[in-house]
Amino acid sequence: MAVAVITGAASGLGAATARRLRKEGLAVAGFDLHAAEDVDLAFEVDVRDAEAIEDAVARTEDQLGPVEYLMTAAGVYELFPLGGIGPDRWRRMMAIHIDGTANTCRSVYPRMKERGRGSIVTIGSELGLMGDPEAAHYAAAKGAIHAFSKSLAMEAVAHGIRVNCVAPGPADTPLLKQEMRSAEYVNSLVLGRIVKPEEVADTVAFLMLEQHNFVGAVLSPNAGAVV
Amino acid sequence: MRYEGIDGRVVLVTGAGQGMGRAIAERLATEGAKVAVNDLNTDTAAATAEAVGGIAVPFDVSEPDAVDAGVADVESRLGPVEVLVANHAFMTMAPFEEESLENWRRILDVNLFGTGMLIERCAPGMAERGFGRIVVIASEWGVIGWPNATAYAASKGGLISLVKSAARAVGAQGVSVNAIAPGVTDTPQLDVDALDAGVSHEEIARRYGEDIPLGRVGMPEEIAATVAFLCSTNAEAFVGQVLHPNGGSTRVWGI
Repeated sequence: MAVAVITGAASGLGAATARRLRKEGLAVAGFDLHAAEDVDLAFEVDVRDAEAIEDAVARTEDQLGPVEYLMTAAGVYELFPLGGIGPDRWRRMMAIHIDGTANTCRSVYPRMKERGRGSIVTIGSELGLMGDPEAAHYAAAKGAIHAFSKSLAMEAVAHGIRVNCVAPGPADTPLLKQEMRSAEYVNSLVLGRIVKPEEVADTVAFLMLEQHNFVGAVLSPNAGAVV
Repeated sequence: MRYEGIDGRVVLVTGAGQGMGRAIAERLATEGAKVAVNDLNTDTAAATAEAVGGIAVPFDVSEPDAVDAGVADVESRLGPVEVLVANHAFMTMAPFEEESLENWRRILDVNLFGTGMLIERCAPGMAERGFGRIVVIASEWGVIGWPNATAYAASKGGLISLVKSAARAVGAQGVSVNAIAPGVTDTPQLDVDALDAGVSHEEIARRYGEDIPLGRVGMPEEIAATVAFLCSTNAEAFVGQVLHPNGGSTRVWGI
């Protein structure tokens, strides 16, 4: 069975994708702060801890086999007006998203490179594309993921590895801020509804498992939040 | 990969006599769709239709009356059009100041106006029935432009704006409208590039491939797979998006 690693697998987009990939016959190792369910192997690990990530990836390969697929979905969200965020919150947001994505890729990518195959899908955000006045540090971190993904994609393609990014719109997960569940906001979206986690999961599955020629692409299923 | 929500759907693919259109018709038929195959060429439309177990509806997409009659023909033979893939295109290449007015008009009429007419004819019915998928094949050149292809690039760029507008208009009624901007893909259209460069089809593909991070031009089947994904049930959250399957040659989002 092919093996996928998913960070942020305990809830939201990561959990939905774990279910989707297992339906496709993959074995999934879920990394999260607390143990993920609906996975084949669960690791309690903080993506900011590069050594812990390296250890978890090594143990995944020992127990399940070579990692062919990686989804980096670990993330947090919080509202702070610009000027009110402060250095600690900036650093934390950047560490979880940027270091987190890079740490996981740093452990998985060289292993994929040795085998000459693999597919990595990072999770950005439509807020990273368009900005978020109430969470500039979140938007900045997600924008960094977009650029990181496009860059790694260029290195990786020569080694038979695809890297692409999904930038979801407001999705029905625990991370979604309450304001984005209000009737006023939801009605402002073209679809009149927010994105379902399954829709993001299907997009990740498409990028990982289909025969396509996307390299360094950013796909945004966002219900029309950003057209 | 198989995609939910395509089985049994009535699909109209334009320009499907060969190349990318044919590959799209084949992929959607594999997913279970009932495919109406359009092309200007009656013979190739019939050949593709036979290959995919569908029907042939040859007509000129640049003629509004022909579009109306053609879609009505699909409706009477298969049922209302639930999925429209506007893949047809006409391309010539020439330095800007040398391109003929006739080619300018034909390129814009076929590529942009024709697609506008098809969407106008099909989208209202889809909205009424609460389901639709419209996938328009634009081009990477519509996003970034290209020398010796001003009219073609303009027509393809206009398709992106058309798609975003249509998506906003009918998205709330269950009709998803999106564009694919393929990079250079190995289809008969590459012969136009080959002629412009004075080399063979294989050589122009090789040259383009050198500048693409993936190391090669795209394959029609890869574009067809992307179409199939956009037609699936869980692709409804893509609203007026432009997807860029191009081997990494252009890494823009949206636009």
